[in-house]
Amino acid sequence: MAQSMSIAVPGQLLGPANESLPGPGTHIHDSNLYASILGPITKTNPPKPLGPPKRLTKIIPAAPTPLSTVSIERNIAAGHAKDGSKAKAEILPEVNSTVLCRVTRIQPRQASVAILVVGETVLDGEWQGLIRVQDVRATEKDKVKIFESFRPGDIVRAVVISLGDQSNYYLSTASNILGVIMATSEAGNAMYPVSWKEYKDPETGASESRKVAKPF
Amino acid sequence: MAVSMERFVLPGESLDAEYLPSHPTLPLKLGPGLRHIPPNTITPTVAGQLCSDKRKNAVWVEFNGGRYIPTVGDLVIATINRPSPEFYYASLSDYAPQATLPNLSFEGASRKTRPQLQPGALVYARVSLANKHMDPELECVSSSTGKSDGLGPLNGGMLFTISLGMARRLMLPRPAEQGRVVVLDEFGAAGVSFEIAVGRNGKLWVDSTSLKTTLAIGKAIQETDLKGLNPEEQKKLARKSMKDF
Repeated sequence: MAQSMSIAVPGQLLGPANESLPGPGTHIHDSNLYASILGPITKTNPPKPLGPPKRLTKIIPAAPTPLSTVSIERNIAAGHAKDGSKAKAEILPEVNSTVLCRVTRIQPRQASVAILVVGETVLDGEWQGLIRVQDVRATEKDKVKIFESFRPGDIVRAVVISLGDQSNYYLSTASNILGVIMATSEAGNAMYPVSWKEYKDPETGASESRKVAKPF
Repeated sequence: MAVSMERFVLPGESLDAEYLPSHPTLPLKLGPGLRHIPPNTITPTVAGQLCSDKRKNAVWVEFNGGRYIPTVGDLVIATINRPSPEFYYASLSDYAPQATLPNLSFEGASRKTRPQLQPGALVYARVSLANKHMDPELECVSSSTGKSDGLGPLNGGMLFTISLGMARRLMLPRPAEQGRVVVLDEFGAAGVSFEIAVGRNGKLWVDSTSLKTTLAIGKAIQETDLKGLNPEEQKKLARKSMKDF
């Protein structure tokens, strides 16, 4: 796999769209391939196509020559990896992927979270996510109070429902297995889940409301 | 209410059990200014006077802080800052996050008939949500009964700023004997008709027949607050201001 060390900036022209296939980190505009993010340009050569099978009685048109794929890697350091050892595959949250996130802020209509783990992979950087008040529970959506479901600092298991806009993924905890998996009490102690809506501080005995995920 | 004032406390002091009230059946209720550290430490978190109520088995610290911290259930006077499609944004105190007041949280309000409040308007509201993670929320109607109980817009009149301690004294069940505020009784006895509303966020609203009386009453309370006048001095002050009208 050929590796190029040149860095592309967002909006940089990479070539015409009929010469290469667009990979992650690129987009097509007006039949041209442009870079979408800052990163090193990598060109992956496609596998060599087999020639048409030998037959003496039929002429089969040759398959179109496959194009190489141009992509931009997210991690600039990945472009400097030694030959043969490609940096670990970049995992992005996709729709329906389960993520672990930490609640950063609560507001009356939504909770802002920082996505830390996608599937089984711990991310290098944090992606911002939003859990809207109508996506907290599956039932009685209009009676949900964010203050009784999440608090800043909680670790939450959620599922991505939309790639969202420029700043946020949209997540949902509307399932029994989704919700808060780790919480700290107001007094600062780690709490144990008691029911689907309550955590208990073992030291002070105080209970706090959360949308609790079913432990398994 | 058998309130007794024991002594001055400083933050972090250890309190002996003799300063805390005891009751055969009721559990001890901790009010503002005290914190319970399990298993059996109770420490003050502010400097002030330790007060206790034997009848309710409650203990708290009476301190005159400058900053109003919203607490659920408090009655406050909020100033409307700006409207938005679903809420009014109102200010409880300067340099603090704004509180939200839902458009429909008024008595008898529906989408068609709801009060149109202008920026600068005053409302008497109750704090419905207050915690350290979110901006406070207000309501002008009791969520259980749907009645306003005296909450809602305050029309006319004038707003005065008083200290939080003075606001608490005015909001006692019997301000004259418990809070030692007699200046209002003096004005009333002299035949001045007026209406006041007190917010725990340190705001006083006065409405009266004439501007002169409104100003006189508001200034009298502010002076009582600022100079710490005792009942005798308050009576003198009331008589002096009533000489004008």
